[in-house]
Amino acid sequence: MIIASSPIIIIFILFFTAFIIPMIKNKTKVKVLSISSIVLCMLLSLLTCIYVYTEGTFIYTVGHWDAPWGIEFQISMIEALLSLTFTTVMTLIIWQSLSTIESEISETKIGLYYSLISVVMASLLGIVYSNDIFNCFVFMEVNTLASCGIIVIKENKENIRATMKYLVLGCLGSGLVLLGIAFLYSITGNLNMTYIHNEIVNIYFDYKNIIVVALGLFTVGLGVKSAMFPLHIWLPDAHSSAPSTSSAILSSLVIKATAIYLIKILFRVFGFGIIKNFYILDIILILGSSGMIFGSLLAIFQKNIKRLIAYSSIAQMGYIFLGIGLGNELGLITAVYHIIAHALTKSALFMIAGIFIHKLGTKSIKDFKGIGKHMPILLGAFTIGALSMVGIPILPGFVSKFNLALACIQAGKYMFLAVILISSLLNAVYYLPIVINGFFNKQDNKSDLNHTNKIQLKEIIPILILIIMMGFIGLSSNSIINLIKLGI
Amino acid sequence: MTELDIKYIEIGAMILFGIGFSTLLFHGNMIKKIIGMNIMDTSIFLFFITRGYINNKEAPIIINIANSPDSYVRPLPSALMLTGIVVAISMTAFALALTIKLNQKYGTIDLNKIMEMRVDKQ
Repeated sequence: MIIASSPIIIIFILFFTAFIIPMIKNKTKVKVLSISSIVLCMLLSLLTCIYVYTEGTFIYTVGHWDAPWGIEFQISMIEALLSLTFTTVMTLIIWQSLSTIESEISETKIGLYYSLISVVMASLLGIVYSNDIFNCFVFMEVNTLASCGIIVIKENKENIRATMKYLVLGCLGSGLVLLGIAFLYSITGNLNMTYIHNEIVNIYFDYKNIIVVALGLFTVGLGVKSAMFPLHIWLPDAHSSAPSTSSAILSSLVIKATAIYLIKILFRVFGFGIIKNFYILDIILILGSSGMIFGSLLAIFQKNIKRLIAYSSIAQMGYIFLGIGLGNELGLITAVYHIIAHALTKSALFMIAGIFIHKLGTKSIKDFKGIGKHMPILLGAFTIGALSMVGIPILPGFVSKFNLALACIQAGKYMFLAVILISSLLNAVYYLPIVINGFFNKQDNKSDLNHTNKIQLKEIIPILILIIMMGFIGLSSNSIINLIKLGI
Repeated sequence: MTELDIKYIEIGAMILFGIGFSTLLFHGNMIKKIIGMNIMDTSIFLFFITRGYINNKEAPIIINIANSPDSYVRPLPSALMLTGIVVAISMTAFALALTIKLNQKYGTIDLNKIMEMRVDKQ
């Protein structure tokens, strides 16, 4: 079946595009190639999704080498849905960037930029599909380097400093993950996740200390890369200084991939049965909930809109870790649902912020007074995104919060209900002032908004599609959650 | 004592890992950070390859006739570490290139000083 090999075709298309693009001098051709390759990948992901829905979970063996020797891709409903979400969000981000990218990076680097974006996307999907821990690690490294590339492409002072910080902490994280893999390999002799699981079920009584060390290494290493709370320090700088397109990609997709890797390691390699004998889930739970609160608290004091949204990402990653840390099925399902919901919301918010910054020429929130008069549609879209973050019913943010609360009750951890509530209120504290100032405050006379040119429709359409999709996955949350349940 | 005798390479690898890790984390100088990163990665390679080594076994290279699989050490860790080395090299190259840029823009390669500069500006 040709559809059963679509995962490898998708990754191949993206890497091939990344290889071809730097050779093309013509800017328009670069853009056409980039957007057409990602649309093709989106369609293939959709086909994979339908195939998995009808045929059930399938395994693709790369190069037709069977499992213990070759690399496996295991595509269940979760992987299919995530790849569909990632490619869709990426398509819309690239579509929006086609008209705005010239204002942010220099003309000569546009080819390189789209090449790097293809590499980022290919490695993200690699982490999502792969069933081999070392293969996931290699994809993660490729992803880190390419993400550094899309931050530093702007070549400002700020960007270089932020990239350096990201790279140093990324190296630290990858070293820890590799050591974790070494420990796991030394006790099981396998790299395939299914095989490691089969081995580890038999031997974990004899090697409890090694398993504790490996779990700690994986959690810290992947926590650095996915901005778990005390290890988040690289994120605000990197995400706020990057071009808006890169910020949208980094915040909505890149930090999610490592969270998926952590989910795979905790629940596929070790499994519910073993993991509950160690206290690692409680640590993830506490770090996630402190991220939810402190990320939001730090966001309140930000004056730069992109930094504010970046800190909000830390809080939202906290929800995902809270879902993982609860250690029951509903928590895990909600974590995956929140990955999808947050990918759509945060990419829309970052792109809107990018247009605001471009039109007003300032990043400071206090200059955003009265923008609602000039850009009512955009600020309306921003409001819907912000309301989703706060957790207004129907929108996806509410669905994940509600389900997380239910999961807390199921797990008997009532204290975390309060954490979810406080975090929602804090989200309202920093998002709503922007909306209220934008719609109801009069703008200062000195700002020259009236002279700025009109926003073109092609810049707004991708954002509106994202917002409509957000409403859609909020409305059809039950069926999406049922789909995710199929994959566990 | 016997544990120490058998596992001295692993212990050495862990000591090296500690040295590399703390250099990467606590030194301000970018070049020292990069050296620390390399020491850390190399120690992991050493550890990984040692885990694949079995005493008194040959290297897994077939000359004329193949012996039984039991007579060779495990080939997989060495193959994996080749990939690991490639990853570490690309990281190092990228970090060095960034260090040059950092020096051009800030006039120093001390990350702590660069962080202070930003505080002063605000």
